[in-house]
Amino acid sequence: MKQKQLQMLLKKPASWLAEGGEESELVFASRVRLARNIDGRTFTHCAEASELESVRDQARDALMLAPSMKDSIFLDMNDTTEPERMILAERRLISQDMVRRFTNRGLMVAGGERLSVMVNEEDHLRLQSFEPGLALREAFDRVSRLDDELDGCLEFAFSDRFGYLTACATNVGTGLRVSAMVHLPGLVHNGDIRQVSDGLRHVRLSVRGSYGEGSEMVGNFFQISNSITLGLSESDTVKNMDSHIRKVLEFEKKARETLLKEARSLLEDKIWRAYGILRNARILDSREAMELISAVRLGVGLGVVTDTGLSDLNEMLIMIQPMHLQMLYEKVMGPDERDRSRADYIRSRLKAS
Amino acid sequence: MICQFCKKNIATIHFTNVDGNDVVKIHICRSCAEAKGFDYLRRSNFEKTDLLAGLVSSALPEKAGTRMICEHCGRTYAAFSKSAGLGCSKCYDSFGEDIAKVLKRIHGNARHLGKSPRRYCTEKVHARRRIRALEDELRVSVELENYERAALLRDEVADLKKGMEKR
Repeated sequence: MKQKQLQMLLKKPASWLAEGGEESELVFASRVRLARNIDGRTFTHCAEASELESVRDQARDALMLAPSMKDSIFLDMNDTTEPERMILAERRLISQDMVRRFTNRGLMVAGGERLSVMVNEEDHLRLQSFEPGLALREAFDRVSRLDDELDGCLEFAFSDRFGYLTACATNVGTGLRVSAMVHLPGLVHNGDIRQVSDGLRHVRLSVRGSYGEGSEMVGNFFQISNSITLGLSESDTVKNMDSHIRKVLEFEKKARETLLKEARSLLEDKIWRAYGILRNARILDSREAMELISAVRLGVGLGVVTDTGLSDLNEMLIMIQPMHLQMLYEKVMGPDERDRSRADYIRSRLKAS
Repeated sequence: MICQFCKKNIATIHFTNVDGNDVVKIHICRSCAEAKGFDYLRRSNFEKTDLLAGLVSSALPEKAGTRMICEHCGRTYAAFSKSAGLGCSKCYDSFGEDIAKVLKRIHGNARHLGKSPRRYCTEKVHARRRIRALEDELRVSVELENYERAALLRDEVADLKKGMEKR
């Protein structure tokens, strides 16, 4: 039963990916997470196996009762295989760290993957919500509602002075991390991206590659998140982020306009070449594929390319990752074979649409 | 260059690992690197820990190597200062005022504003929070020489404080 549920979950990418949403040409997704710990329990990284087990069970029981989590499944990581965990990580449902350190960890996912909870990751509970496009408030409201529902069942570690107490001092306070995954080819092209990210750092927001911590920037995808959790309320955190992101999007739109005005034919050429390669290549590594999809995504945003859409491209970005490809082709593949399958998959997607 | 591990494929990833005085150079092909998990995410974890340790020790240079220990979970302050990781929620009490300094260094602030669990949502707590927020605003108003607003805020704070004493 469990296994079947997991298979069902993994088979199809999250439904929200295809839904669009506000500013979806520039914002791939909004993501919000809350870190919570159970009072009196040792934090995960210092806890012994028996403690982890009991925290996991306590968290699971509370989650089962939460109205927000109805129609969801709880995955005991002890029952999962490494490839399954890698797929969950490629979906951003669990962290890279949890792929390796999985014993007595858990994941609860509500239908459509909009709401999920990692159990025994860095903190006992990490409530996470995704929304397509720019919708930070909606994503926050959803996790916050779940937090309220759990509040009756679980006693969260809290101090009046420092707020919610977390395993790492960088998350203490609200335990809130608000992120937007943005696509900024215009700013990368005109070189303003440096200034923009310096400016964001100045207002204590962090800018990283699309894969989160420490990852390099590929395909002009960036993740912008708040870095401060203490001394700023949740709604101010969300409001600040929203207004700063909108500013960035304004810059990006201007950059795109200028590009179109000054170098229309060059830009169109670049977009159509990328589209041509995607439709015809026989070998594509993930970096190249992401860069080409990024160019076509820009083309769709500018109305240059009309025979494919954002939802197809967004889904492709998920599906071309190594474990997703192997699941799709139902076999274990080395890097070279994956590069062939990636090209094959993308060709079939773009021909069909 | 040939991969040191499978000795078959061409090594496309090269890195140098410095551990104390030992310098180890690694040349590895893509599939061995994947199999061994030498991904950049793992490397980044080290960087993150180093960065956080820097934050903690720069906030409290004179305290490095202090003997404080959390009685509840046994976490030492030394371990905390290496990674910014706490052992349990009681560590926040055990490490006393030092932790407030570290938090201030990380967040620019050491006072929570925002949600709290229901068991903390007493009227008193609300009033205290409100007073704190008003006092902050009052300071800003004075700095901006907006004395009219400041006077209003001062009165409101005084009323709230009076109300709290009565209860």
